[in-house]
Amino acid sequence: MTRRFTSLAGLMLLPALTFAELHAVVVEGLPGDQVYAEQFNRQVTAISMALRSVTERERVRVFRSDEASRDAVLGHLESLQSEVRSSDQFALFLIGHGSYDDVEYKFNIPGPDLTGEDIAASLDEMPTADQVFVNTSSSSGAMVDLVASEDRIVVLATRSGAERHATRFGDYFAIALGDPGADIDKNQRISVEEAFDFAERQVSDHFERNDQLATEHARLEGQNADRMALARLGGALPNVVDTALGELIADRDALNAEIDTLRLGRDDMPQADYQSALLEIMLDLARVEDAIEARQEELGANE
Amino acid sequence: MRTSSRVLTMLAASCLLLPVSADARGIHYGAVTDPAILDCDQLQWRGQTEKSRLCYAELLRSTTPSSTKAEAAWALNNLKQANEWFRAATVESPDDHATKVRWGNLFAASHQNGEAMNIYREVLDEDPANAFAMLGAARVLVGSFEDAANSYLDPLMAGTTLNDGALLGAWLLVARVSLENGNYDEATAALLEADELVTDTDWPALEIYALRASMDLLNNSDDNHWTELSLQYNPHFGGIYATPAHFYMITRRYRAAIDMYQKAVDIEPGLATAHEELGINLLRDNQMTRARQHLETAYELDPFSPRAVNTLRLMDSYSDFRLVDDTPVVEGEMPIVLRLHEDESAAIAPYATKLTRDSIAVFAERYGFDLREPVVIEMYPDHEDFAVRTAGMPGLGILGATFGYVIAMDSPSGRPSQQFQWGTTLWHEMAHVFTLEATNHLVPRWYSEGISVFEEWRTGPNPGVRIPMSVYNAMKDDRFLPIANLDEGFLRPTYDEQIIVSYMQAGLVCDFIDRHLGADKLRELLVAYREGLTTEEAITSVLELEPAEFDKLFEDFVDTEHGAVLDKLEEWHHKQTEISNALAEDNWSDAIELANDLVDIIPQYIESDSPYLALARAHNELGNREDALNSLQTFWINGGYDPSSLKRLGHWLADAGREDDAIDVMMSINLVDPLDRDLHGELGDRLLAADRAAEALQEYEIALALKPHDMATAWYRMAQAQHKLGNIERTQDHLLQALDIAPNFRPAQRLLLQLASGEAN
Repeated sequence: MTRRFTSLAGLMLLPALTFAELHAVVVEGLPGDQVYAEQFNRQVTAISMALRSVTERERVRVFRSDEASRDAVLGHLESLQSEVRSSDQFALFLIGHGSYDDVEYKFNIPGPDLTGEDIAASLDEMPTADQVFVNTSSSSGAMVDLVASEDRIVVLATRSGAERHATRFGDYFAIALGDPGADIDKNQRISVEEAFDFAERQVSDHFERNDQLATEHARLEGQNADRMALARLGGALPNVVDTALGELIADRDALNAEIDTLRLGRDDMPQADYQSALLEIMLDLARVEDAIEARQEELGANE
Repeated sequence: MRTSSRVLTMLAASCLLLPVSADARGIHYGAVTDPAILDCDQLQWRGQTEKSRLCYAELLRSTTPSSTKAEAAWALNNLKQANEWFRAATVESPDDHATKVRWGNLFAASHQNGEAMNIYREVLDEDPANAFAMLGAARVLVGSFEDAANSYLDPLMAGTTLNDGALLGAWLLVARVSLENGNYDEATAALLEADELVTDTDWPALEIYALRASMDLLNNSDDNHWTELSLQYNPHFGGIYATPAHFYMITRRYRAAIDMYQKAVDIEPGLATAHEELGINLLRDNQMTRARQHLETAYELDPFSPRAVNTLRLMDSYSDFRLVDDTPVVEGEMPIVLRLHEDESAAIAPYATKLTRDSIAVFAERYGFDLREPVVIEMYPDHEDFAVRTAGMPGLGILGATFGYVIAMDSPSGRPSQQFQWGTTLWHEMAHVFTLEATNHLVPRWYSEGISVFEEWRTGPNPGVRIPMSVYNAMKDDRFLPIANLDEGFLRPTYDEQIIVSYMQAGLVCDFIDRHLGADKLRELLVAYREGLTTEEAITSVLELEPAEFDKLFEDFVDTEHGAVLDKLEEWHHKQTEISNALAEDNWSDAIELANDLVDIIPQYIESDSPYLALARAHNELGNREDALNSLQTFWINGGYDPSSLKRLGHWLADAGREDDAIDVMMSINLVDPLDRDLHGELGDRLLAADRAAEALQEYEIALALKPHDMATAWYRMAQAQHKLGNIERTQDHLLQALDIAPNFRPAQRLLLQLASGEAN
């Protein structure tokens, strides 16, 4: 190794403890017909599998359309309020059809629909502010004023309540959570932002290639959408505590920080110098990643 | 007096030709009777431009009726003022139908045909025999591609209205349309009638001279008699050149048209229509700067012209296009210049250049003609831009147009990919370059199209005889035309889909000549046309057959080749419906049985309702992947190009371990949908795995140029290909590009470490 790392190993939490716990609820709405039934089923399955790669299986609650009554969903969200800690993360997904009558947004489920106000109130009462709310339904844009807040990441499939056609966004968002092509920074995790960008582009391409006017325009509100992961490619990390691995990860984090710093100064340095400095750091980073991979394999073998 | 039915036929047939453009304030043949105006008009008709302007200006200053001022303002090209004076005149004298009609003429001259027609109709409601209103309406409707013109011209020609001036105008209209339709006898007769009417009047015969000069030109006579007469009468009458130029243009002799339009504007610099046509034709000859200059002049003279405005806007959009020059590496080859939208150029240029070069090699050898100038190929992502490029106006149904050495066509993104195989269109248009240039643009439309269709089938990137079902239906109804009249099917179609039927007939004619009369005959026919022979003469001279004999032999050929299909057309249609029902009901075994029956009837049918697609789907649903694969592969081999079906076939072939076949199929998709970002990356991966790194690199370069969502992977793929090719420095550069985007990209990191350690690939 040609460089010394600014190691923070002694101060770092170990891998299994580095993330706040994510609690997630996925609600599948009424499909209306067989085509949407298959589509929503596929999306809900993909999303819940993805979430289980970043959190414990039991922390992901899925309401299939036949059980997704208003009472059941709101009751579960209420019960979560005593379970979720302020340091945790919370994610709510609505997959289905929505409607908007110029006054009130409704998410279509069996029995009384979930209203925009129902959902906003449940989110507001959750103990953690670190939240993501994804609504892939038609007219979901009508909810933006109800749910947008400084700490909450909000993903809506439509720009406003007036975009009433069934959406394509949900399908692509679900695909993104398992597609390496959506992992733009290749860190093996799909962030909310990466999934959104992937789905938004696919939707746009779809309408463009079919020479159609786009009937939906997704929106992403809130900060830190790039930091919240919804999926880990290749499955969950082994749940182990290991000092050596922790040190290596700290080294990797330090190198990534160096890269960020180098990029910030890019415009002020000759291109050749930038390339040269980048090459040096990238080689170090590659070696650390090799070491991390080797250590993980060792740990996996010992398990 | 001629019977009206002849006129009816002629004007109805004109609906698909170029419009008779509304002139500025032309010769009115008595539509204006105000002596003060007529005095000024006489000066203008004699070419005393300055004196006439002073004359009109004086009328505007004097105390004259509003209708006089309107005419004077119009003559001075102040259309807004003329409009106001006409409005005032009609308020002052609501029953003055003559002035109202002239107001309508002003609207027509300023391209507001709807307003013009409203006025003509209003006048005819009040005065059903108003001859000039009828003439005005007929002119507008002929110019608007509507055959309703006859309902207005009919009573005029039948003599129910007695107005020599209007009748003269009507005969001139008939003569012009007859010439456009190639009915020279009718045109001659109409001009004789016009001659009689103009004699002993004060009206100039300038328009008659111009049409007679045009007729000489169409008869390949270079007699200048009519031009001299015209110039003697009025040395500044641009129409004497502009009218023949129009006929050069519609017979695709664009450079000759340019020369004539230039002469027109030289002697009459204020002739907006000539500047406009000159600009548009210069564009067809790739003379951009000169074209813009004349289009801007046309716009200054006539800011209401949609063709000038559209074309100038199109030229403005060229800043979004990139010129790709392919300079030949072999001495003697012509350069190829592509004008492609900047978002698409990287993806299209490599394939378009190769196809163009291939086509030049094939056609030069086959037709014994070497190109003399570079070929310019323009592709438009917006179909309406292509339409404006071709005709000055949106709403054109064709895919490509060839003006000589310049081709304009829809780009692959101009239409949904399942409807349009751009590679075949380019091949088709390149054949036109050869047939036009080898005959000095004298080739008739049917033969040029026939060769293009035939070459699509025989040598194109997607070979195979492909005949749409609508054409089979027409064949069954015996709607093919005699060879001598085949051009009519293109120029004057009489039923829906006759143009596509004519394309296919022309292709089959060339196929027949090639296979039964000798391939050399196709080349010899081009020579015959270059020498000015008509189709009848060319058939007789080259094929040594009378046209009727040829028709009989061709009929036998069609019967032999397609008779069995035609006998079973009803069964085909019936079973197609049954297949749709079977597929909708997931009745896969019935669908397979029915589709196999259809394959037996027309094995090469690969349109969107091809039975091969039904077979593939049904076999796949039943788990018979191999049968499904074979069905799709037969679809592809026969020329099927639906990109989603071909992608599926590519994946199935790859799953079956047939990587080389998968690559071939995927490469063919590039000739349909080269803008598919995912395809290039995937195809590159397969090529790289097959040790075809140079080809992989090309695919990766295109993928990168299309700005994929996952840029890190795009750069990494480039690095992989460069690494395989042994270009270490470029490999490292591309890896750093990938890692700059995604520092933790493991495959890129590993390759970087491999490079650092000096390991070979």
